[in-house]
Amino acid sequence: MRGQGFGFVAPLLVLMFVAFNAPIAYMLGLAFWEKGRGFTLQHYEGLLEAPVYLRVLGNTMRVALVATLANVVIGYPLALWMRGLSNRGRMIALSLVVLPFWVSILVRTYAWIVVLGNGGLVNRTLQWSGLTDAPVSFLYNELGVTIGMANVLLPFLVLPLFAAMIRIDDRLLQAAASLGAPPRTIFWKVFFPLTLPALAAGTLLVFILCLGFYVTPAILGGGRVPMISNLLDTLINQIPRWEQAAAISTILLIVTLLIFAAYRRLDRKAAA
Amino acid sequence: MKRRTFVGAAAAGLPAFSILGAGSARAQVKEIRMIEAGGKSGESVEVGYIEPFTKKTGIKVIRESPNPLGKLRALVESGQTSTVLMELGSGGMLQARNLKLIEPIDWAAVAPQPMFPEAKHEYGFGYQYFSTIMAWRAGAKAPKTWADFFNTKDFPGKRCLPDYPNYAISFALLATGITPDKLFPLDVDTAFKKLNEIKKDIAVWWKAGAQAPQLMKDNEVQYAICWSGRVVGDPAFGVNFAGGMADLSYFTIVKNSKAEDRAAAYKLMHEMSIAANQAKAATVVSYTGPSPELDALLPKDKLAEYPTSKQNKAVQWVENAEWWAANGEAVNKKWEAFKLSL
Repeated sequence: MRGQGFGFVAPLLVLMFVAFNAPIAYMLGLAFWEKGRGFTLQHYEGLLEAPVYLRVLGNTMRVALVATLANVVIGYPLALWMRGLSNRGRMIALSLVVLPFWVSILVRTYAWIVVLGNGGLVNRTLQWSGLTDAPVSFLYNELGVTIGMANVLLPFLVLPLFAAMIRIDDRLLQAAASLGAPPRTIFWKVFFPLTLPALAAGTLLVFILCLGFYVTPAILGGGRVPMISNLLDTLINQIPRWEQAAAISTILLIVTLLIFAAYRRLDRKAAA
Repeated sequence: MKRRTFVGAAAAGLPAFSILGAGSARAQVKEIRMIEAGGKSGESVEVGYIEPFTKKTGIKVIRESPNPLGKLRALVESGQTSTVLMELGSGGMLQARNLKLIEPIDWAAVAPQPMFPEAKHEYGFGYQYFSTIMAWRAGAKAPKTWADFFNTKDFPGKRCLPDYPNYAISFALLATGITPDKLFPLDVDTAFKKLNEIKKDIAVWWKAGAQAPQLMKDNEVQYAICWSGRVVGDPAFGVNFAGGMADLSYFTIVKNSKAEDRAAAYKLMHEMSIAANQAKAATVVSYTGPSPELDALLPKDKLAEYPTSKQNKAVQWVENAEWWAANGEAVNKKWEAFKLSL
């Protein structure tokens, strides 16, 4: 039974292997192999000798973590609020969450310049209302990058979270209430644990996507927020040192897989 | 087998074979492919050089952009032979030479009209001068020197600098009082000291040439280091060529390209050396070709805007791409470390 479907999947697997996996393996292999010299570890040694590239990786992790946390802080209450809406309200709220998906990421990123720039909507309103004298620097720093990344990635967290929340049986909450639990206890003891797997999955997804962000830091970071993808762009397109880029990419891949493994382990523990 | 040896020999540049190859192929080559920088610069190549070339030879030129060095490496390493011309900056050209991605130019086949000497490079045809200069938002106090530009006390306002070490480091050193003739070899540590002094006032480090002028228009920054073509002739900006860097974009010959394509490419290069064509290209973008006789053909009232007009060429210095080809990667690591400290 199990082997029967294989024939149908095989063409896809072959395509995936030839067009996707093999080039990636070749690219990553570049870090270990040099024409005419054979196997080498010098590109990894170079990373350890001048750890600046690893520090950029560390910086990327930190920015990704902040953006992910911002996403959770905004996304969880949003999904919760959407759960409480009427069917029609849910439809409208959902389409508003999904709407940004239809707009190019580039356009959305530039839109933030119009909104948050020194002469942008927010700063003009702040100054007009007398809350601030000088424009607030929202852009061209980590704050700008965090805002931009949180905006782009919000649907990735809200959609799975919302799907999990509407599947929660209201009778469970009613049962807890009927046994005398106050709303706060119901939320933390019953509701929140039931959303935890979706929250963890969404958070992980957002975090991993954050690690590879390129456009948003390039535009909203003003060149002041070094991220690993922008460094890889320099190493691949400008210098071009593909071997070094491959070594950094391998480390990035390993770190991402480790995070994923840790999540799987937590997930299995929670299920058991 | 015989054919393959023939093509191989022709590619190696044996003159007898190249001439044979070009002769037999003249009728065959219908189009050649080039990779160029795109935008207005690409349009100027079309109007100034490709149009007269196609009119004379009947050969079409297909343009493709943009032109990162990584693309050239991918072309050559994958063994493709369809693209013959690649536009590269002076630094990129030397990196490409060191990585053996391009081949020397057969200058005898180009038979160019008179050119500035630095434009006639062993590995590239320097077809377009561009300057990197100081610019400011109209109304801001005008700096006269790089020391002024880096003096945020007497010239208050946010700065926007290129996110490319070869510009930022050179100009920071000039701001410390070093003269252009003593600039190389670059004292990188002193430059970073200078950049550290004013890094709080540098709001944005730009990667794309369009960013700096837009940020000045939006009043996000008041002073910027820009590519000249992006700011000259626009009343929204003040500009100063003094101490600016003159640099060249080159057309290079891609390794493994076909001999008959090369023969056509050399003819296109010949068109690029003609002053009248360069004058036509300069009407599209205010970057200029390598002919010393070009000034006479350009509109008099616009001479102040061009990188090579006598008055501007005299106050600028020329980028030392050889130094960067040898030291670029090491400096880039320091650059990344500096960026992490922002």
